[in-house]
Amino acid sequence: MSATLHKLNVYSPDSLHEALRILGEKGERVKVLAGGTDLIVQLRAGVVEPREILNIYGLDELRYIEIEGGRLRIGALTTYMDIIQSGKVAKAAPILVEASKTVGSPQIQSKGTIGGNICNASPAADSLPPLYVLNANVVLQSLDGRREIPIERFYLGYKKMDMRPEELLVEVNMPVMEEDEDAVFLKHGLRLGDAISVVNAALLVKWSDDTVKDARIALGAVAPTVVRARDAEESLRGRRLDENVMWDAAEKTLRHISPITDVRGTAEYRREIAVNLVFMGLWELAYRRGRR
Amino acid sequence: MEKTYRFKLNGKWVEVSAPPAATLLETLRERLHLTGAKEGCARGDCGACTVIMDGRPIHSCLTIMEQVEGRDVRTVEGLSRNEELDPLQRAFVELGAVQCGYCTPGILMVSKALLEMNPHPGREDVVEALRGTLCRCTGYVKIIEAVLKASEEGG
Repeated sequence: MSATLHKLNVYSPDSLHEALRILGEKGERVKVLAGGTDLIVQLRAGVVEPREILNIYGLDELRYIEIEGGRLRIGALTTYMDIIQSGKVAKAAPILVEASKTVGSPQIQSKGTIGGNICNASPAADSLPPLYVLNANVVLQSLDGRREIPIERFYLGYKKMDMRPEELLVEVNMPVMEEDEDAVFLKHGLRLGDAISVVNAALLVKWSDDTVKDARIALGAVAPTVVRARDAEESLRGRRLDENVMWDAAEKTLRHISPITDVRGTAEYRREIAVNLVFMGLWELAYRRGRR
Repeated sequence: MEKTYRFKLNGKWVEVSAPPAATLLETLRERLHLTGAKEGCARGDCGACTVIMDGRPIHSCLTIMEQVEGRDVRTVEGLSRNEELDPLQRAFVELGAVQCGYCTPGILMVSKALLEMNPHPGREDVVEALRGTLCRCTGYVKIIEAVLKASEEGG
């Protein structure tokens, strides 16, 4: 049935320290397994070369959600379901709850982890655009110590990350959203449930009355990595969100994306959807602001 | 190479020998002879293999035995007690929410997990919970009604 899987040797360390020791010794010869909702599929399909497995699923010390010193800290093995059910995330970064709810199904949400989603590095990952607009940092640890880098700098290209073979991603953290900030996540899939994003987007606006003080826009599944639409962001600063301003910003998104054609949609379709998602996101944020 | 795994299965501790990366699904079916959970797509789309692990619905086809050691697993076989159906199962029978039955064990377990986390779900909550369990015989109308009926009856 799963002949490939049956041949694999699996290490299941009892502690983070032990996991880092194995990683330090084996490096690229082991593949880290967290929830497994994508890796097991890839191993079976032969997409990922079968190597030894470092199963960290049991490391409960990496399952936590904390607010500390104005930052929301989420342990790498925190599941989407943990995030959906967390009052802390609902308060500090509600957009992450919104995005987690759109991921897969309750089964995927219950097992898939945020660290797994980050390290799987799919350009269509639903947790990534929110983490980009939230200015999140990822924390990498090895036996030599810890380092923290902005998520945008973590991704170097398609499935390429600034992560050494002996390092493990242990946490993602971000500033708690401020009172004058609002953010929205949009996902376009081929159906509502259990779908991989054709295009997804996260938008965050910092308001000063009805004027945009600052904006951050990130899109997924339109380039080898998630991208920020910086020209669109720039065009919004100091402006009120009327239709013209919103369409202008949405169109400027095209300067930052380079989608491909695949089974889920053509490049042209993705360009169209990207523009529309940014417009819809801005419209939603303006609507919410107006309602207050 | 095989190893011995110990975990709680439908309330009782069991020991089973399996390759470390064997899936929970094949171990349940082929070693423990519990054939309720089904293999459909084997890639996390269809939900036919859904079981409850530590209170949450998961795909047993995407879970390897090394992840199961020491945990609490419940399958459709554990729903009934002393030959008496769970209120959820009864509602499925009474409302005709079963046709070919292939998806039913997964749908029951994802619904059971929903009712344990949220004993009084609205229709929308049920629809959301069922988004990862595909039924190709019926619409989902009877299934949704059965879950709602069970929730009214404390299932």
